[in-house]
Formats: sequence, C-alpha cells, structure tokens
Amino acid sequence: MAKNFNRRSLLKGILGGATVSMGLPLLNLFLNDNGNAYADGSSIPTRFGTYFWGLGLTDTPAGGTRWVPQKTGLDYEITPELQAIAALKHKVSVFSGFRAIPDTRPNLVHWSGHASILSGVAPAGSGRFDAPTLDTRVADAIGGSTRFKVLDIDASISRRPISYSTRTGSTFASPDQTTVALYRRLFGDGFQDPNSDHWAPDPAIMLRQSVLSAVTEQRQSLLRSVGHDDQIKLEQYFTSLREMENQLAVQLQRPEPREACVLPDTPAEMARAASVDVVNSNTRVMARLLAMGLACDQSRVFNFIHTGGTSETYVAGQSKIYHQITHDEPTHAQLGYQPESSKLAGLVMEGFGAFLEELDAVKEGNGTLLDNCLVFAFSDTGYAKIHSLENIPMMLAGGAGGRHKAGQHIHAPGESVTRVSLTAMQLVGAPVGEFGTGSMRTARAVSDVIA
Amino acid sequence: MKSARLFVLTTAIGLGLSAALCSHAVSANDSVNDNDDSSLVVAVRRLTEPQYRQSIADVFGDTIQISGRFEPERRELGLQALGSATLSLTAAGFEQYFTLAQDISRQVLSEQQRATSTPCTPASVSSFDQDCAAQFINHYGELLFRRPLSTAELDARLAAAASGTQQSGDFYTGLQLALSSLLAAPEYLFRIERAEPDPANADGWRLDAYSRASRLSFLFWNSAPDAELLAAAASGELLTNEGLQSQIARLSESPRVQEGIQAFLIDMMQIDGFDNMVKESSIYPKFNQLVADSAEQQMIRTLVDLLVVKERDYREIFTSNETFLNRPLAAIYQVPFASSEEWAPYTFPESAERSGIFSQIGFLSLYAHPGTSSPTIRGIKLHEIFLCEHTPEPPADVDFSAVVDSDAATSRERLLDHMSNPGCIVCHQRSDPPGLALEHFDGLGQLRKFENGQLIDVTADLFGNKFVGAQGLGKFLYNDPRASSCLVRNVYAYGAARMPGSAERTYINTQIEQFAGNGYRVPALFSQIARTPEFFKVVLPQGVAKNASSAPDTARAQSQQQGE
Repeated sequence: MAKNFNRRSLLKGILGGATVSMGLPLLNLFLNDNGNAYADGSSIPTRFGTYFWGLGLTDTPAGGTRWVPQKTGLDYEITPELQAIAALKHKVSVFSGFRAIPDTRPNLVHWSGHASILSGVAPAGSGRFDAPTLDTRVADAIGGSTRFKVLDIDASISRRPISYSTRTGSTFASPDQTTVALYRRLFGDGFQDPNSDHWAPDPAIMLRQSVLSAVTEQRQSLLRSVGHDDQIKLEQYFTSLREMENQLAVQLQRPEPREACVLPDTPAEMARAASVDVVNSNTRVMARLLAMGLACDQSRVFNFIHTGGTSETYVAGQSKIYHQITHDEPTHAQLGYQPESSKLAGLVMEGFGAFLEELDAVKEGNGTLLDNCLVFAFSDTGYAKIHSLENIPMMLAGGAGGRHKAGQHIHAPGESVTRVSLTAMQLVGAPVGEFGTGSMRTARAVSDVIA
Repeated sequence: MKSARLFVLTTAIGLGLSAALCSHAVSANDSVNDNDDSSLVVAVRRLTEPQYRQSIADVFGDTIQISGRFEPERRELGLQALGSATLSLTAAGFEQYFTLAQDISRQVLSEQQRATSTPCTPASVSSFDQDCAAQFINHYGELLFRRPLSTAELDARLAAAASGTQQSGDFYTGLQLALSSLLAAPEYLFRIERAEPDPANADGWRLDAYSRASRLSFLFWNSAPDAELLAAAASGELLTNEGLQSQIARLSESPRVQEGIQAFLIDMMQIDGFDNMVKESSIYPKFNQLVADSAEQQMIRTLVDLLVVKERDYREIFTSNETFLNRPLAAIYQVPFASSEEWAPYTFPESAERSGIFSQIGFLSLYAHPGTSSPTIRGIKLHEIFLCEHTPEPPADVDFSAVVDSDAATSRERLLDHMSNPGCIVCHQRSDPPGLALEHFDGLGQLRKFENGQLIDVTADLFGNKFVGAQGLGKFLYNDPRASSCLVRNVYAYGAARMPGSAERTYINTQIEQFAGNGYRVPALFSQIARTPEFFKVVLPQGVAKNASSAPDTARAQSQQQGE
C-alpha cells in the first residue's frame, strides 16, 4: 500500500484535511533521505534523560577495579561489571576516574556524589541540594514543546518515592512509581495519538486554560510581600502551573505524526518486592513505556531511578541488603575484591542494560530511539565500602541525534564529575557554558565525545 | 495548526469581554475586602494530604470522592509539619492537584449536588448570573482560602465563570471553572500566614486574625477554620484575649479534637510509610499489605485511645500493654482472635513482652530491613521520635576497610564486632542499645527467643543506664525527662511550624512543668500551648519585602512577640 503514495502527495493529503488511512510503519515516508529529519524539514527531536543507580561499582583497596576498562578511546574491553552493556557498548561512552570535590563541605554519604553531578555543588546538608539539577536546565531548553516537560520515574520499590530532580533544592520531583501509574500518565487521559487521522481540538481544554489564568493573575499580588525562601517556593508553584499551561497549549495543537508511536497495552500490576530481579524487571517494563512515551513525543526529558543512594535492593531469599553488604563484606584475600558486592553491582547493571535495550528496540528514522537520546547514567559513589567520591562511575549512552561520538572510554583521574555533566548538557543543546562551583566549576566539556 | 490558533484567539477574546463584564459587577459588591497592603507573608506551608482531605470534607461534605496521588511529604527535625514549610509543588504534583480540583468541582456542581451546594439559583441555567456567581465564589472562596477573597481574586474567578458559561452555554459549567481555580490556587494549597503592624507595639508585628484562626483550627482539628472561627476573625474577636480563649475552649472541647491530636501523633510518631513497606516473602511469608495496614491502624488506635479517649499520662505509651487487635495481626502476634468485630481491645500478658508502642508490629517492622531486624535503625528512631535526639549522618571517613564480615549468630554479636571500629562506636554506642533490647522481635515484629540457634540477649547498657528487653526499655523511657520535653517542643513546633529556639527555653520549661502538673495529659497540653502568646509569635522571614507603610527594616530575621 505504501507504494501507492509518494511523500509529497501524502503530506498534501493530510494538510488538506483529507482522510488518510494507513499502517503505522508506513509513516517513515515522512523522513528525509538521511533519516534524521521529517519531510517538512523538522528534525527528529533529541531526548535527554538521567539514569541513576545506587552504590556505584566495585573498586578494590589495592587500587584495582571491577569495572574500569584498561583500554581508553573506542572499542574498550568489557569488564565484569560492565557485562550488561556489552551488546550496546558501541553506543555507550564510559567515564572513569572523575571525582566529586566538596572542598570545605563534608562528604555526605550517599548524597554528595550525585548532588555534585546533578547540581554542580556539594551540598551543605543531606536531603537538600544547593542548586537546581541539570535536568531542569535541559528541560527548559528542549522540553517546552511536549506535553510533559520532564518525566520522573522510580523503579526501586522503596518505602518513599525517590527523585533527585529539583528546582528549589528542597522540593524534589514526585515520580511515577508503578508501571500502571506511568502508563496512565503517558497514555491515559490527555494522550493524543500523533498518528490519528481524526484529530480535533478539545474545547474542554480551553475551559481548563481559563481556570489557570484566574490563578496566574494573582501572582504579583501574592509575591509582593514574601520572604526569600517563601518566594522560591511560590515561584516553583507558578513554574509548575506554567508547565500545566504549556501542557494544555500543546494539546490544542495537532500533534506531528510520529513514525514509531504505537499505543502500548496496559501493563500488569507489578510485584511489590525490592529484590534486584524484581527491580530489574520493573525497570524493563517502565523503560518500555518510557521509550514509547518518547517515541510518541509526550516528553523529551526524563529522570529514571533504578535504586536509591543507600540501595535497599537484595538478592531474593537473602536477608542482607546490598547497602549492608558493601560495608560489611571483607575483601576476598585471593580475589582482591568483595565478591558478593561485585555480583550485586553486576546485577544492578543488568537493569541499565535492560533499560538501554528497550530504548534501542524502538526504530526511529534510520536508527533507533536510543540514537536520538542521550542517557546520562551515574551513581552516588565510587567504591561504596568507603563512601568514596573518587572514580564515580558515569556513562553517556545514545547518539544524541548524531552529536555524541559514542562508544569510547574516557579515563581522567582526579577530574571533576561536573565536566561530564557539562558535556551531557551541551550534547543535547542546553545553553550552558559553565557548570559547578568551587573546585568543581568548569567550562571544559569532554570534547572527545562531542562530534 | 491554523484551526487551533484561531480557536485560541476566539477564546482569548471571549475571556477579555467576560472580564470586563465581571469587573463592573464586582465593583458594586460590598462584601469583598482587599488584603491589607501593609501585611507581610510570614509563613507558607503546603497542606498535607490529610489536611487537604479534611478541608474538602468540611467544606463540601464527606460524600466528595478524592482519588489521586499527593506529593510526598518531607520531614524536618522529625516533623512533617516543619517539612511542609520547606515544600513547594512540582510540575507532576500540580498536575495532580489540578486534576483533583476539576474532579471535586464536577462533583460539587453535579446535577444532584448543585441545589445544596449553590447558595442561590441563577436566573437562567444557560446564561451567566453575576450576582449568584459572586455569592458562590465568595462563599467557597472564604472557606477554602481561610479568609475573604480580595476584589481581584473574585474578579478573576468571575471572569472564568463568565467565559465558561458563555462557551458551554451552562451556568454551572462556568461555576465549576471558578471553583477549580480556587482549589488549584496557592492560597488553598498552601497555608499562607500573614502578619500586620501591631497597634500595641509601634515597631512590632502580630499574626493577623485569619492566620490565627488557621493556626488554631489546624492544631485542634487538622482542618481549615469553620464559619464561626472565620467570623471571630472577621469581627476582631480573635485579636482580643477573651475572644481567643473562648474560641480555644470551643475548639478543644469539640469531638473533632480527636482528629486533630491524632494527626499530631501520626506526625510525631512517624506513622507513615506503611503503603510501601516491603518484606522478603521467603523470610516473612506472613507479611502482606493487609498486615502492614493493620499494623499502622493498631499504632494509631492504641495511641488515640490511651492519650485522647482515656486522657492517660503520656508516658504510659512506653509501658502500656493495652492495645487493639484484628485478625491479621492476631496471627502474627500468635494470639487467638475470637471477636466478631473487626477490631477488639486486647491486653498483652507479661510473657508476650509487648508493652510500649515500640513493641508493636508497626514500629518493629517499619524500622527493619526487608529480611532482618535492625537494632541500629530501631535505636536511631527511638531516639529521634521519643527523645527528639537526632543521630548525625555517618561520617564519610569511617574506615570500613577495617570492618570484617561477622559470621556471629546474633545481631548483638555482629554489631559488637563492628564496635571495635572507633569511627563507628561514637554513634553506635548510643543508637544500638535500645535497639538491642528489642531483639526478641524479628524484622516483622514476631516474637523470637533464638537467632540462628543461639539464645538472644536483650540486655542493654545506654551510657550506664541498664535495662532488659522491651519492658525494661519502656520503664527507662517512662522515667526519662527528655521524653516529655520532646513532646512539648513537638506540639509547639507542630502548631507554630517552628521548633522553639534557645531564646524560648524558659517558656518551654514552663510548659513542661505545667504539662507535668496536669498529669501529663496531651489534650490539656494542646490547650495550654494555644493559650500562650508565644504560640502566635511572629518571626519575620529573611528578605521579606519592605513596602509596608510602617514595616520595620527586616534585612535580617527579626522576631517580635505579640502583646495581648
């Protein structure tokens, strides 16, 4: 059937309001010859996301490691704890040797590391960041035209929702924590199929806009006489309100057709257990939903939590949790590392492997969704046994729409983690020239990975 | 795309016209008061989920269904009430509240409900009735914002209602939009407290009457002020000592005080997190969500019965063996459950070792790992919750490489192995002993005497204070003066959203003495604290705007005590 249309006649038909009925895969007719832009000249969007897992990867007291490849540059070798990314290593750059530098601030355990990566500042106290996180800056740059400016997802099945995304430093994003909740958010009320032939603006949305206008009108009056901290809180409220306004405005526009967008089935309720096999299984299902959410252009920015900083995950049937094991387990005399911790690290990385596989499984243009994403993956610590801020594992996965020279190992002992943060932001086009404070202040991105 | 743009343009024109119409209507409305320009915002606290729910039930009736996800709370110095003063709304959170606002408005103005929920009948259902809309918005606006609406606030909602009516051809659809905008507004979602120049003190500030009304109402009822309390604020009664005392008496004698004190106890005792509790099923096969929910309920029922219904000595929460059971819990406590009711009172025998709130499954399972107990976590939480003593974050420079994995049979021995590490001992010598006294209870709270075949030792030595098991721990806490001091400070902080500082030491000590003099009764403590001028003390926040006509320089935090 595809052969009965050419690109021009098809577009003309749609723009002219003609009814066109066709199978979804045929929409690649919208693509230009290079496969990285639509026929009307608009490019396939680049998406950005963070992926966090707790407790780092394993180093050894003697200075060895279970994860840092020997070889730098392209075609690095797969180490035991990187096994899960082996199949996609040509799309993943690994960064080793980088460190968080708190200067005079304390090393807040399971907090200072990722706070530094995300906000560029080692915070004064646990539970707060001292600057907004980088995902919010990226979202401000590239997330404004989709329904959700940022999607926050927590697959960890922890007692409390985990998110490290913040604008104020004290209010953190409230993530979707179950597969069903994520599905409803993305594909429930308010979802508009971008490939539908029967789109029409919903008049109810305009009524909702008037509700928000009535609230916004009072902003100046409210902010006139507030203290500094209260002003930050209320400004965050109005920022959130504006994002809702944007969501409604987006819903009033006919969505651009999206080749890869296929409404997924409702997922089953997930098991409620925090063992690593269950968390990995949730990660895969949530990644699949997220991938389709991105393919359907519901959002272009996301934050994904696999496990929290003091990870409570464990091997099913065992009584000790991962966090306990990293501290309690001695270094094996012959092996020279903590075997149980290293095994868990490998299992936790399987979650990341599954996550990337799901993004890579969605075909988009001439490549995959992953090729049009940049996933910034990192942990809270280096060698978890001693809460090390040295050698914190970080990775950049995906092609960032061709801008990321992926598949490299960058080894830079002693360099600030913020260099990788800055690189990530610049790769997806956020207008940030400098990032971090004190010894972590940097204007030097890692140019080796930028095309 | 073009059609969408045109559609938006049409709406904008419609809104503009409607706004013009409404402003004309409102200028004649005498019932609307503007905010006093000289007032300052001195606190912004996000409503908690229970406060949101209770406020909606109070204003619209308890038939309104509220289904949605609320933003996570945050705890500061042990209290969500303090954490709420640091919180804002994220984009995902606003999305939820916005959906809730529309859902509630639809229910309130459904065909079945509108006759009772609307204080007037419109001249025509299909056209806009300004007077009726203004009555409706003013009525619910005052209850939701906990003060009368300003002219501008009313104008904005009338504009939404007018344009909604115009577009939909239905007056009640217009009202729904107006109500939604009240429910999604920061003035509803946050408790915004204001101070005004104090006429009795030239450079001083006092909490304004409506903020006082809210502070009292949320303290005693965990909800927004009712019409009588708002009227007392409007008349100035709450600014007089006599009027204030009269309202405190009314609030504290109401049956609703049980809900208010219960909310405080849940906050202080940190009875939350049961929804997401996970246990390893191969180790604790009896655990399921019903058990978790029941354990939460048991803690609440026990505390409310003891402290509010029976008004017993607060310190008995550490020693009482009286509680309530349901069938799922009885299975875990391994006691028979013969009642035909869902819940039945129960008194544990001495041999059960269950006395004190911390010996219940709720506390024991919440503060444990998925597959083991944790004397350290339990000890940290006992200190934090009951003694207001917070354990610092573990130092990062502890040499864990010196730690060896212990193959000892019991938790005590494993922990003692770690005690050889000087970096660990500083905190663990304080946190672990009370937790070790609870080691007869496993990670789910089930009684056990052996661990890995070895008899468990539940003796404890906390800086020379020696006790044995849960009962010994309970007696120790009963006699520890820090426990009642912690409670008094928490009640103040809960109500005033500020932990009392060193400058208020004398005040707090006086309150502790009075609390003891009243037989350590918690309801009396609530009234006692609310009756003191310090409860309404104004602390000007840093950086507050200085545009008020008689505002003092507030470049740095400055506190003023209001004089009654």
